[in-house]
Amino acid sequence: MDSQLGGRSEEEEAAAAMEAQTDVDLLKRAWRNEKAAPEILQFEAGLVQRAREQIQLLEETVEEFTENRSDDLVVPLYQMDLDRALFLLRSYLRIRLQKIEKYMVHISKTNLWNRLSEQEQRFAKRCIDIMEKHLDQSVLSRLPYGYQSMLKQSISSEEDDMVPEPQLNTYVFCKSKSDVGAFQLDDMGEEIVDLVADDLYVLRYNSIKGLVDGGRIDLV
Amino acid sequence: MYGRRASQLLRELAACEAGQLTAFNSDTFEQVIRECNEHNLQLQSLIRKIEDANLDIQTTRNEDHFGAVIHHLSLLRNKRCLMAYMYNRAELIQSLRWKIGPVLPQEIQEKLNYSEEEYFKNHSAAIESYMSELDLDLTVDMVPPKDPYIRVKVLDDIGELCLGDHAISLTQHSLHFIKRTDAEPFISQGLMEEFLE
Repeated sequence: MDSQLGGRSEEEEAAAAMEAQTDVDLLKRAWRNEKAAPEILQFEAGLVQRAREQIQLLEETVEEFTENRSDDLVVPLYQMDLDRALFLLRSYLRIRLQKIEKYMVHISKTNLWNRLSEQEQRFAKRCIDIMEKHLDQSVLSRLPYGYQSMLKQSISSEEDDMVPEPQLNTYVFCKSKSDVGAFQLDDMGEEIVDLVADDLYVLRYNSIKGLVDGGRIDLV
Repeated sequence: MYGRRASQLLRELAACEAGQLTAFNSDTFEQVIRECNEHNLQLQSLIRKIEDANLDIQTTRNEDHFGAVIHHLSLLRNKRCLMAYMYNRAELIQSLRWKIGPVLPQEIQEKLNYSEEEYFKNHSAAIESYMSELDLDLTVDMVPPKDPYIRVKVLDDIGELCLGDHAISLTQHSLHFIKRTDAEPFISQGLMEEFLE
């Protein structure tokens, strides 16, 4: 269980790539994980880059076929493949943006910030500025001194206690491709689950967070 | 009772169907803002009273102290309600950009207050600049594609639409078999609908 919380090692990544094989499969998996996880996950920069290149290649192929008026049956098939890949990519990026919209302040204040791509960071910064301006001019600036912070309830709060955070305690469906073995769900070591390959589990996101980050378990 | 008016704002949000926006309730909103400032005046005068009596503000536990606490807590409650009202509306307004597009129909526009209109525009611009950085339109393809082509019915006269090498004329009530990606912007604007037999 040593690599439980650490990042994904090269070996593991290679193994994962072997299992899933194509980038489309990998993208589908990244998309599914992102969709099911309550918090934002690491941005798959390399994968997105590759997917975009492949999509462009497909687009060119489709164009070529259409120009040559070659097989009318093949074009729609390529087109469909292309549409599906594009949907996955768009939806993946979209889900991430929507998570940023929802938890922008929380993300910017924690190390979740490093999980965003450069463009997403710019987007998040802008979102925060816009939201701050909006709340400030409609509510905060009209409240008495000491109560004007967006992050704190009042000047006497010691911590930022008005920041929406994702609910990490929620249950998620998950599945592992390989045996993880006995896995401890809580700090006390009272709840232990034996994670067997290809079995479906419903567990708290909080407790399997490390496995998701490490790519050892997939959310469904 | 203190804080009742502010909670009405939230009750309004909660009573509304999910995803629907109600008209901005500026009457109640303004009243709550006024209430906040009244609480603050009371709070300040109670604090002054304690100070004038030469009592230590940190340790005094007389009736003035508890009065001040009540005003402070009521103010906090009001602030939380106002913020929750604005924030929840802002979240809904964000989602409109994805669901409807960069231009809001008149009937929705009327429900926003001035700051919210500005917020929608700024937020849309942020999404657009992200999309142009990526050179990818994220507002199409909202549902997984089944078939690249769909059958649509035109609900309102749209005019000519250029599709690659040919143009089609989209007149009201006409039926067309076109690419899903071409149809989606019109569907989200309510100018077309998917035609299901």
